[in-house]
Amino acid sequence: MMTRPPFPETRTALQEIPLNRIDLTDDTFSTNFMPDLRALRSSITELGLLEPILLREKPEGYQIVSGFRRLSVLHGLGVEEAESRIINASDVKLFSTALHENLTTRGLNTVETAIALHKLVHQFKVESPLVIRDYLPLFGLETNVKILSTYLSLAAMEEESKKYVLQEEVSRSNIRKLASLSHEDHLELIPFLSSMKLGESRLREILTLLEEISRRDQTSVGKVVRGPEIQEIIDHAELTLSQKTERVKRVLMALRYPRMNQLEESFDKKKRQLHLPPGIALYHHPYFESKGIRIEIQFMTLEEYRSLLITLSLLSEKVEFRELLDQEWP
Amino acid sequence: MVENYDNRSRPFQIDQIFLDVASEKDWMAQALLKGLPSTPVVSVRDKRLLIKEFLQHPDSLGSGKRNILMTRFLGKRLKPCPGTSQHICCGYHVINALTNCPMDCAYCVLQIYLNNPLLTFYSNLDDLLQEIDAFLSAIPGSLVRLGTGELSDSLALDSVFPLSRVLVPFFAEKKNAVLELKTKSVEIDHLLSMDHRGRTIVSWSLNPRRMIEEEEVRTAPLENRIEAARKVQEKGYLLGFHFDPIIHHRGWEKGYEEAIHSLFEKVDPGRIAWISLGGFRYPPPLKITSGERFPNTRIFLGELFPGRDGKFRYLMPIRVEMYRKILGWLHDVDPALFVYLCMESKEVWERVLGWSPRNTAHLNQMFEERMRRFL
Repeated sequence: MMTRPPFPETRTALQEIPLNRIDLTDDTFSTNFMPDLRALRSSITELGLLEPILLREKPEGYQIVSGFRRLSVLHGLGVEEAESRIINASDVKLFSTALHENLTTRGLNTVETAIALHKLVHQFKVESPLVIRDYLPLFGLETNVKILSTYLSLAAMEEESKKYVLQEEVSRSNIRKLASLSHEDHLELIPFLSSMKLGESRLREILTLLEEISRRDQTSVGKVVRGPEIQEIIDHAELTLSQKTERVKRVLMALRYPRMNQLEESFDKKKRQLHLPPGIALYHHPYFESKGIRIEIQFMTLEEYRSLLITLSLLSEKVEFRELLDQEWP
Repeated sequence: MVENYDNRSRPFQIDQIFLDVASEKDWMAQALLKGLPSTPVVSVRDKRLLIKEFLQHPDSLGSGKRNILMTRFLGKRLKPCPGTSQHICCGYHVINALTNCPMDCAYCVLQIYLNNPLLTFYSNLDDLLQEIDAFLSAIPGSLVRLGTGELSDSLALDSVFPLSRVLVPFFAEKKNAVLELKTKSVEIDHLLSMDHRGRTIVSWSLNPRRMIEEEEVRTAPLENRIEAARKVQEKGYLLGFHFDPIIHHRGWEKGYEEAIHSLFEKVDPGRIAWISLGGFRYPPPLKITSGERFPNTRIFLGELFPGRDGKFRYLMPIRVEMYRKILGWLHDVDPALFVYLCMESKEVWERVLGWSPRNTAHLNQMFEERMRRFL
């Protein structure tokens, strides 16, 4: 249940208000972020303004309550007047009205939702428990403090990070991971992330690896990202975005798990020294948790099968094979 | 963020006591009210509703540790230690006379294990004693180890839930069992005057100073634990020590070597029943829960991978290296110390000690032989 009535106390009849009397720079009630005005521009060009603008009177002209995008288009089209209603109420009531109007017409994107919640808490001083109870459901969000803090942390990020979140449709759990990093980290991280092709789970993996490496080594994420191995991959002109992503992940895994990487490399080196034919594959125990090797053979003909068996029977004579079995760790 | 109450006289702070009406007349309930005379008491008829209410709290784990539920427990409270699958365990038995712990360690599995966040004491202690009696009567020739340290730190709470005042004399009369009181507290003064007859082992979990400060909130500092161990050893108690969880961190070798050095400056190795070594391990959900509650914890930054039982453990070479070194430092002090590995594979036992118990029963038998030397 809302604690306050959602509608303002007074609103006037429709009237034409000159645009030069409206303060287009006052964004008190705006939640806009990277608005795409193309469709709205076509609509207004063809049909004119269908819904009136909501304004509040101020000492020198008018303040926009709802209709920022429409006024922006009208201004761009050189229109001189806009059909409007003048309303008056407390700031929080007006903001609530603007939110309702936006949510019932166009909806808000992730960053706009974050801006709206940030304004409710920090600008209009609505207490967090009330925001959780009364406003999160408006945005179709679960009513808990973790959700609110996720959006508040997004609102506090820099423009570039917000753009990235919006363009890449970053999930809430990844927003939380991004939010745990510093402003300086974001400045280096966002261009780095943008240079790869990251789905939801890849992004989570990369962010987790970066966060854990930097915390373990007590260094910044930026410094990890600036490392020569990573930079070489990012700057490599011939690699596709997917190839860059895979290679960066491999480098980060090696940094995060150096001992495991050493074991893998040592195992692969010895395996290569065996010069096995393509039909034989050797695998170590998962995570080297135990000794033992798993051998997989693949063949199409009896001849291939016999040949593989001969190769296998000779393996026990090779030092590298015995070393693989002994697994004396580096 | 988790708060620290180290500067208080008790290692915990209690906001309220919720007293189940079914427990009101039990003497343990009376002892609790006497131990916390100024703490508000709320009478409870349906504890399920109370637990549900606490579970809805944004920090249910934190708030649960500040509130006591005194109730009765009607099921079995003596159980074989669950151990872990596909690893060698020690055949221990756990006494669950209470659940949850006032301390708050970042690595504590109770954070995801308990479905009741309150500090919960079970007032029908006589039923528990009967259960233990029945169990011991059925195995007269054995020598079993029972302990209270799985779901709580009972010694830390003894001032308000005087469990050891009951259990120490109870076990003093038993011929085929020993009691282990495992703790990270220094609440031992009341033990000093008790007639334990060598049937109670007081044991401490140990970690380097830095790990205790960073990862074990509201626990006693290392020096205080060692001093408490010295005091109880002086009164004839056998001691146990658990380097568990061993945390691989920058400077771990120095940290553990110093801890061992500090320990044996004060404690006689000849009266130590056992020492366990166990690398940090965790079920996957713990990383999320602990990470949210302890944003600065560094315990998950090691090279940890899923093992045969699904729990994450350090890469085997890392575990083996840690165990070998710690074992070496312990054996430098006294090669006769009885050191075992907690929840490890035969392969790790062999790599560390050069041999392995055949199975859990074999290790249990070794414990029996060890105990008979002291009794």
